[in-house]
Amino acid sequence: MKLRLLLCLAVISVALAAVAAPLRPARRPRYGGTLRVEIGAIVRSLDPSVAAANPEEADAKDELDALLYDRRGESGTFVGAAGSGPFRLSAWEAGKSAVFAANEDYRAGRPFVDSVEIQMGRSTHDRLLDLELNKADFARIPAELARQAADRGVRVSASQPDELLALVFLAGRTATENARVREAIARCIDRVAIVNFILQKEGEPAGGLLPQWSSGTAFLFPTETDARAAKEIWSQISPSPKLVLGYDSADTLQQSVAERIVVNAKEAGISLVSRAMPNSSAASAHTGSEAPRSDTIHVDARLIRLRMPSPTARISLAAFVDTLGPMAGIEADPLPENASPEDIYNWERGIINSGRVAPLVWLPQVYGLSARVRDWKQPAAGESWPLAYVWLDSTTETH
Amino acid sequence: MTFRSKFFVNFMIALLLSVGLVTAGVTVVTRHAFEELDREHTDALVAQFQREFDRRGHDVLNRVQGIADGEPTVRMAIDLSRPNADISVYVNDAKGVAQSHQLDFLDFVGTDGSIISSAEWSARFGYKMEWVTQKEDWATRGSFLTKLDTQEGPALALMAVATVRVGDKDLFVVGGERLGKEFLASLVLPSNMRALLYLNLDPKFEPANLIDSTGPVNEAERFEPIIERERTQPSEQTAKIDWTIDAASAETFHVIPQLGRQKELLGVLLIGNSQRNVVTLERHILWLAIGVAAIGLFFGLLLSWWAAARVTRPVQKLAAGAREVADGNWNTRVIVRGRDEVGQLAQSFNQMTQQLVDQRERLIQAERVAAWREVARRLAHELKNPLFPLQTTVENLQKASSQNPEQFEEVFRESTGILLSEIENLKAIVGRFSDFAKMPQPELATVDLNEVVRNVEKLFEAQFSAVGRPPITPELHLAEGLPKIQADATLLRRAVENLILNAMDAMPAGGVLMLRTSDGDGDVHLEVSDTGTGLTPEETERIFTPYYTTKQHGTGLGLAIVQAIVADHGGRISVESESGVGTAFHVELPTRPPHHQAAPVVIEEEEKEEA
Repeated sequence: MKLRLLLCLAVISVALAAVAAPLRPARRPRYGGTLRVEIGAIVRSLDPSVAAANPEEADAKDELDALLYDRRGESGTFVGAAGSGPFRLSAWEAGKSAVFAANEDYRAGRPFVDSVEIQMGRSTHDRLLDLELNKADFARIPAELARQAADRGVRVSASQPDELLALVFLAGRTATENARVREAIARCIDRVAIVNFILQKEGEPAGGLLPQWSSGTAFLFPTETDARAAKEIWSQISPSPKLVLGYDSADTLQQSVAERIVVNAKEAGISLVSRAMPNSSAASAHTGSEAPRSDTIHVDARLIRLRMPSPTARISLAAFVDTLGPMAGIEADPLPENASPEDIYNWERGIINSGRVAPLVWLPQVYGLSARVRDWKQPAAGESWPLAYVWLDSTTETH
Repeated sequence: MTFRSKFFVNFMIALLLSVGLVTAGVTVVTRHAFEELDREHTDALVAQFQREFDRRGHDVLNRVQGIADGEPTVRMAIDLSRPNADISVYVNDAKGVAQSHQLDFLDFVGTDGSIISSAEWSARFGYKMEWVTQKEDWATRGSFLTKLDTQEGPALALMAVATVRVGDKDLFVVGGERLGKEFLASLVLPSNMRALLYLNLDPKFEPANLIDSTGPVNEAERFEPIIERERTQPSEQTAKIDWTIDAASAETFHVIPQLGRQKELLGVLLIGNSQRNVVTLERHILWLAIGVAAIGLFFGLLLSWWAAARVTRPVQKLAAGAREVADGNWNTRVIVRGRDEVGQLAQSFNQMTQQLVDQRERLIQAERVAAWREVARRLAHELKNPLFPLQTTVENLQKASSQNPEQFEEVFRESTGILLSEIENLKAIVGRFSDFAKMPQPELATVDLNEVVRNVEKLFEAQFSAVGRPPITPELHLAEGLPKIQADATLLRRAVENLILNAMDAMPAGGVLMLRTSDGDGDVHLEVSDTGTGLTPEETERIFTPYYTTKQHGTGLGLAIVQAIVADHGGRISVESESGVGTAFHVELPTRPPHHQAAPVVIEEEEKEEA
């Protein structure tokens, strides 16, 4: 009995120890160290009055300015003086590197790291390599490479899917004025294959404009492919047009997806070719960015990335419509601020039913982190990198 | 055309024909040899290309098999053989493997024929490549041609398939090289050859599908008949395309159909061999032959000229000698070396002329003897008449002196008178002979023959109608515009006088004396005819012989003097007469008498003359 009791107590104590281990409070944050950040963009100036050359630079500039400024105004622009934020600029080499030192007087307290060192213009390959070799502590990774990065030992952090990759039928194109044409193409696209193979399962098939976590109604928009129906619809179109699908030449994901759509279309008997669009990085955008320069080359439809500016469904949807409206010729009444989820769904449904936009997949924001980075929290949609709250574990060996 | 020219032309024609035949023969033989060489060269290169093609096929097969045997592929096959295997992990693998193995196409295909990863068209994952799963022993199949769908459209590829079997599941490794301009560029061909490939990807002939190592071929439509022939009945053939009218632009193509696994025509390979080198070489040889022929002709020309001259020179000399003989210069010699027929002919010619000269000499000698006899006879006759009175007178003087001394004085006086008279007579006879012997050389001046004739006729007008003799009627037919001649007017006048006197003597019963002048070709003619008694043929032959006369008191020197004067003027005199009808003398006088002397002519070799 005693032995049994002893054994039972021992088992219980071991089990409790095992269960309690993860629940132990994290080690206390340490101050000090330099956080090495690598970005792909080239930022020429941090002055908010100086416009960025392209959305990629604008995104990066926004993230760097977030280190210098305390807060944003209602319009989204930063207010206050530079250096009022968690960091102050200590070194700047335009387009190459920047060093931000911790602001001892930051109102929310001094950041844990002493400084943040930014390397600009680093390619995806270089960023992945530096993360793998622990030469970088933080870098953004394309979603489609997240699995590969993880396989290579890189610590990967992915957000909720907050970026929509969609197919937009451009306004004013004779070939796509026929709704049946748009329907045939939209129905032949195999979204699941795009997620599984191209995105390596790092994303979700999209049937609506908003993700499920934001709207709660995404499941109501079907994502299944129906090549047979597409083929039948296309066979009824006479004369069948020859369509051109444009994609951003600098966006490898768009290129892969466009090529896959072409294959899907070909299997359905649809005549569709893909074509790279120069300077169309402007379209990789972000809500509120300027319209893509699709006029430089003739395309009937194009791929576009739409990143949610806010976790709020109404705001993001409105921003999407602002971008898509002039591009696809979508006209919709503005959503009232007190719009109900049902209103938002109906609004979204109306846009989808117009057939001018075919949502394809939802993409998360993926970051690579070195092993010594601690207390990293994924920023929500529209939020900046929370670098002021991370600290570096000096016990983790770095190169 | 001279004999030499004819000989030269014939020689040249023969030479030209010979050289032309040789040149044509050399050209034809050379062309045939080059064509044969070119054909062998092309066959060798086609065989080389076929070997290269086969080698590339083996190479593709080895590389594909190498991929299949590689550790990553085996691991992939093992992984995919598991239930619920995640094939998406491998979707991007093919591209890297294809690059590392230098393959244009590489597909990893699952056991159901689904594409797991595609290098050339990565977006095709999940779709079926059903032909791979058809029952075929890929291990023994080797490489093959096939038509593949790519992003850019259908393409022709040299493919191979390798299988990795794990359990009951297969992983197919399908890889190959694109048969395109890069493939053609990688082939090692001589500079004058090129490889073209027609990709039989469309139901109709498409010019853009005909490519070479740089891309689409220019003027591809020129190949349409060749390609269509292959499409109708695939077989190896040879075709020639003349790109321009220049034969050097021609290109010979060896056409090889490229068949797929099902023996379907997938491509047409054309090995082009430019004819430029061959044609250029042929032209070089032709020009060389023409150059040699031209040089040969030039030297042949010189040789034939020399040979013609050498052969015809003796003939020409013989001809010249014959002309000299025809001109009366019988003392002509032709010197020809050699003992051939021409030499013998020249020797005979010389003998002939020598005999002519000898005969003429003998004739002249005979005539001279006859003339001297005639002279002697005439002299005897002429001298005998005065000598008889002289002898009689001297005998009378002797008789008177001895028999009648009283009458001697008277006889002496009378006899001396007779003696002096007869001696005068003798002196006159001697003077006439002396005058004939002293015929002066003509002193030439411009003379109007008509005027001479007219003046002489006037002198004789009184005698024509003299009392006591039958009248003679003169008739003058003087040609108008008769050219003046170079002559001695005095001698001419004497000749005409003698002819008129002779005519008057021939017409003792009166008659008609006709004087006629006419213009000849380069000379002037004078005809003096009478209606007298005429001459016998024998008299006609001897009429111009000095001291020959048919008259009772003639000296026989009148017509001889006429002939001498005419001869001294380079002219000729002839007589025609008919007994009882009359006699006509024809005198031909050159407008400009020649100054030649009858010296022996020796026609020697040209070399000597030239020397």
